[in-house]
Amino acid sequence: MAEFSWLPRSPLEHALVVGACGAREVAPGISLTEIRNFDLIQIMARRGKGAELANAAKARFGMAAPEVPKAVSASDVTLIWSGPDQFLVLSKGGKHAMDILSQAFSQSASLSDQSHARALISISGTKARAMLAKLSSLDLHPASFPIGAAAATSIDHTSVNLWRGNDRPDGQAVFNLLVFATFAESLWHTMLDAAAEYGVDIGHSAEV
Amino acid sequence: MRIVCPFCGERELGEFTCLGDAKPVRPAAGASEDEVFDYVYLRDNIAGEMSEHWYHGGGCRAWLKITRNTLTHEICSVEPAAGAGARQAAR
Amino acid sequence: MISSQPHRLASGGLIDRSAPLNFRFDGKTFAGFEGDTLASALIANGVKLVGRSFKYHRPRGILTSGSEEPNALVELRTGARREPNTKATTAELYDGLEAASQNRWPSLRHDLMAVNQLFAPIFVAGFYYKTFMWPAKFWEAVYEPAIRRAAGLGRAAGIADPDHYDKAWAHCDVLIAGSGPAGLAAALAAGRSGARVILCEEDFALGGRLLADGGTIDGMPAAEWISRTLAELATLPDVRIMTRATLFGVYDGGTYGAIERVNDHLPSPPEHQVRQRLWRIVAKRSIVAAGAIERPIVFAGNDTPGVMMASAMRTYVARYAATPAKRIALFTNNEDGWRTVETALGAGLQIAAVVDARPDVSAAHRALAAKAGFPVLNGSVSGVDGGKDGVRKISVALAGGARAEVEADGLAVSGGWNPAVGLTSYHRGRPKWQDDISAFVPDGAPPGMVAAGAANGAFGLGACLRQGFAAGAAAAQSAGRDGNRGTPSVADDEAFSLAPLWHVAGKGKAFVDYQHDVTAADIELAQREGFESVEHLKRYTTLGMATDQGKTSNVAGLAIMAAVSGKSIPGTGTTIYRPPYVPVAIGAFAGHHRDENFHATRLTPSHHWAAEQGAVFVDTGLWKRAQWYPRAGEKDWLESVTREVKAVRGGVGFCDVSTLGKIDVHGPDAGAFLDRVYINTFSNLAVGKARYGLMLREDGMVYDDGTTSRLAEDHYFLTTTTAKAGPVMQHLEFCRQVLFPELDVQLTSVSDQWAQFSIAGPSARELLKQIVDESEDLSNEGFPFMGAREVSLRGGIKARLFRISFSGEMAFEISVPARYGDALVRNLMLAGKQFGVTPYGTEALGVMRIEKGHVAGPELNGTTTAADLSLGKMMSTKKDFIGRVMAGREALVAPDRQVVVGIKPTDRARRLRSGAHIIPKGETPGPDNDQGYVTSVCFSPTLDQWIGLALVERGRERIGEIVHAHDPLRGENYDVELCNPVFYDPDGGRQRG
Repeated sequence: MAEFSWLPRSPLEHALVVGACGAREVAPGISLTEIRNFDLIQIMARRGKGAELANAAKARFGMAAPEVPKAVSASDVTLIWSGPDQFLVLSKGGKHAMDILSQAFSQSASLSDQSHARALISISGTKARAMLAKLSSLDLHPASFPIGAAAATSIDHTSVNLWRGNDRPDGQAVFNLLVFATFAESLWHTMLDAAAEYGVDIGHSAEV
Repeated sequence: MRIVCPFCGERELGEFTCLGDAKPVRPAAGASEDEVFDYVYLRDNIAGEMSEHWYHGGGCRAWLKITRNTLTHEICSVEPAAGAGARQAAR
Repeated sequence: MISSQPHRLASGGLIDRSAPLNFRFDGKTFAGFEGDTLASALIANGVKLVGRSFKYHRPRGILTSGSEEPNALVELRTGARREPNTKATTAELYDGLEAASQNRWPSLRHDLMAVNQLFAPIFVAGFYYKTFMWPAKFWEAVYEPAIRRAAGLGRAAGIADPDHYDKAWAHCDVLIAGSGPAGLAAALAAGRSGARVILCEEDFALGGRLLADGGTIDGMPAAEWISRTLAELATLPDVRIMTRATLFGVYDGGTYGAIERVNDHLPSPPEHQVRQRLWRIVAKRSIVAAGAIERPIVFAGNDTPGVMMASAMRTYVARYAATPAKRIALFTNNEDGWRTVETALGAGLQIAAVVDARPDVSAAHRALAAKAGFPVLNGSVSGVDGGKDGVRKISVALAGGARAEVEADGLAVSGGWNPAVGLTSYHRGRPKWQDDISAFVPDGAPPGMVAAGAANGAFGLGACLRQGFAAGAAAAQSAGRDGNRGTPSVADDEAFSLAPLWHVAGKGKAFVDYQHDVTAADIELAQREGFESVEHLKRYTTLGMATDQGKTSNVAGLAIMAAVSGKSIPGTGTTIYRPPYVPVAIGAFAGHHRDENFHATRLTPSHHWAAEQGAVFVDTGLWKRAQWYPRAGEKDWLESVTREVKAVRGGVGFCDVSTLGKIDVHGPDAGAFLDRVYINTFSNLAVGKARYGLMLREDGMVYDDGTTSRLAEDHYFLTTTTAKAGPVMQHLEFCRQVLFPELDVQLTSVSDQWAQFSIAGPSARELLKQIVDESEDLSNEGFPFMGAREVSLRGGIKARLFRISFSGEMAFEISVPARYGDALVRNLMLAGKQFGVTPYGTEALGVMRIEKGHVAGPELNGTTTAADLSLGKMMSTKKDFIGRVMAGREALVAPDRQVVVGIKPTDRARRLRSGAHIIPKGETPGPDNDQGYVTSVCFSPTLDQWIGLALVERGRERIGEIVHAHDPLRGENYDVELCNPVFYDPDGGRQRG
């Protein structure tokens, strides 16, 4: 009997080359980091069960799930608004994986595992907004898109979830982007194209 | 054109698709062929204010009922569909 | 040695004499300075002749100093970067710039096409419609090609543009077009209030007319005021000043288009940078401070090189220290023209005479004339003596009827100013006439927009500052910004007086539209021939239809039409204004989306593995799918596909079918919901089972098909075809949210969550046994046909397994979480080695479905009913569903409908082609006996011949009949036999086995 290995392979594994890319004569204005191996569960309230879902979420995560386009974080989980009466649960290490959450929300919501359906890219740097302005029609000005703001939107006709995480230690804003896995490589190339003039620093990480 | 999605806020036209006249209501089961024919084929195309079904497919995937002036493209009102999100509709 | 710029002043101007630049025009090398445009550098070098006109090939010089230029159009750059019709007046000079004049042969000075001037009588307005009429077939073959060669302007590069372009979004409270006094004052007021401001200036320098006209603001010279203002704006974090950026359009909801020429001022963009960027700007409010455009007066010979707008003449002298002429005559009907006299005298140039159409020239001007020793003539210029080397002499018709002649080498003309009303009029706005300036001014504007300063008809410097500041303050306030905005800057208002004058009668051609060679006589002719409406006038004469959009010509054209038709100018009206305000390269609209980035692509989880195998990929919508996997020695696709089909039918193969749309349908009412969207019933499907489902559109036609499995009481897993994945999701959400909001059901796309593979062939089960955990029962009893459940794989991964078959073989579909898709194919290859496992592509998939008679896209083509596809029995009679009532319409159940049948050529060796028409045997093909068409064909390795599916009238009753296939597109005619569409294993034993 053959021995099978089941190495997960990120949708960006082929396209992502760690290191510098684009303009070299300047300090990189963009950092692109792919976050690999996360758990992502979509939770949608059942009809008329918005209040029950809110209670169950508070009990499970110790914080209210966002009811408007925002992302909220605790130490081990981020809840990202993804539409009316629905949100995404982003975590890692199986603590909030499908089988566990199904129990917690069985009375109030429908759950769908999206852990493999998306790629997660973190975008930061002094030119992050300039680069995102080429991709997104959203207004990402600090006053319009503060820390914790989230949006279900489209880039290049591709659905994405975009939210602003906590700033980097150097004060630069961080934008997190979930894109459908089969579109990820295409969007990655588009992002590199948009970022090249600013200089890009590319990496990947297992830390959510 | 910009549309204020009741869930997402103001977004650009490219995130939405328009299905057209929102006035016709799907007849209940058991309706006559004539009633269904009217529902399927008789659509208004008003030069002026008209209510339309729009889909925020590039955003929150909510169906919206938008009242829009087809002459000026002014958007007069945007409402979510009866069953958008987890809204409880009357049985 | 490069020429020494003989027409350059020794001092002054905004050029950098320490930064010399070399450039070439028509092969000759010249020198200029940083800060020059191509036009100003040519003027500094004494070049007067820069191009030939469109129809008559008349010698033309530089008329203006801005983006309204109709004459000085050149081909800029060479090779793939060659760009025709570039305005020399806005092209920034860079070292090594190469430009060539247009529309001349063999050279600019000796243009043989100038012979067209002799034929001028036939080139009058509407000559296309009058001249090239007979014989009709000559139009395409002879006339049009000849006209296109002779006319047109520059030549396109004809090769792909090597540069990159991109598009970006910007958002602000207040958007300002123009950086003259009004624009800068608006930016100050809005910026100080705390508003987010974007100011677009098409020039590379900020200041608008202040750059040439100067003036005193707040007691300081204009230049100092500009630098102080810019310094203050730079301290405001939310004020963004964009130079080389033209606001070209206004769209719905406060969206604006701007084109930024990021690197047009360099020979080529630096690495990783774009040439141009197209901006979509979303603004709560906008202020058009785009200024005004000086208008010519129409008189004979007004296109002679050396005749120039008065404001342009002083711009070249004051801003660029370049002298278009040494001895200048001015022809004006207004006060502002006199500024050129002051500037020219200040630069040490001579004034030959001022011809002023107004009788009452001010005492100050008369004193100036006396002091400088030039005559002031009350009258108008009626002719110009000169040619390609410029102006020599002008004829003046004096007010009293006498004539005079003035020797001059340059003629400055001012007919007044037209506010730039384009942006304010783009939403079908019609400007209104303002008598005191004899010009159209904005009459309202698109929502959120106002005009200020000269663009609003306020020509005084003080008024521009006041209006700009007030508009900036009001815009900021209405956007909710209320910071301390200080006080507006102050300047005097110059006197403005004007005596309207549009056209001076005289002998010789008098041009209205320089770029399209439309003369005053053409407009008069159009009126005589009945083309009096402005929209007719425009199209008949082509007035204002060139790339300059008539910026210098439209109002004069209207005025002449008004005069000959006896109407007022406002009564004659304007044509509709449409964007773009300046030409915008198509490349900028395309941005990043060209070549391999034309649209987003989707890759399957096994894509890179397939690429390693050398798979040939096909574009299916956005997807790249493996079409077949060629092997060494195979001579064509058919050989590869045939091998793949035989390997599946004889052993086992697998195919990535992850492209199918996959939707989680959750909720207590999930079954009831599916019953309403499918024609068949799903609420009674047992957990652990799959069922084929068919959806109709509400009009009764088939919409989509696929299998749906019940994974739990309240959880179905629905699949769609690849093509309809997006539309079906949208349709189901419509059903959920709009049609059936009472049902408790939730939908989520899981298309990208699962890597799904079809594993087909007699050895499929044996192969799977190698992969799944040994505790899983895959026997026919333990996992029967249409079974669906979760299984464990060896190594601890969970998968979903479905026993469904598209190929007609014993087959499974297996789904694993997508990041394991790559591992799954590699493991299948490993485990399947002993069975000769063969990956197959979409071609083999298609062949096997045709052999099995399964319908797909070509049959689900929007014109077929369930019954047409032999699926009518699936339609439940016990429930309502989408499309039920309309599917029962008389025409949709008529017995003579075209239905799916199989076809085989009577000649076994013949190849079939889809699209052929089915005609009764022995009849002549025609629309009356067209009985259907061939939808799908393939070479069947199993039957060793070509087979196909067709939609044929009453086809099911005609099995065995020989009919005629008629293919006029390919010129083929042959006989085919109608047969059962299920060519392979009609009783289905193999897939159940």
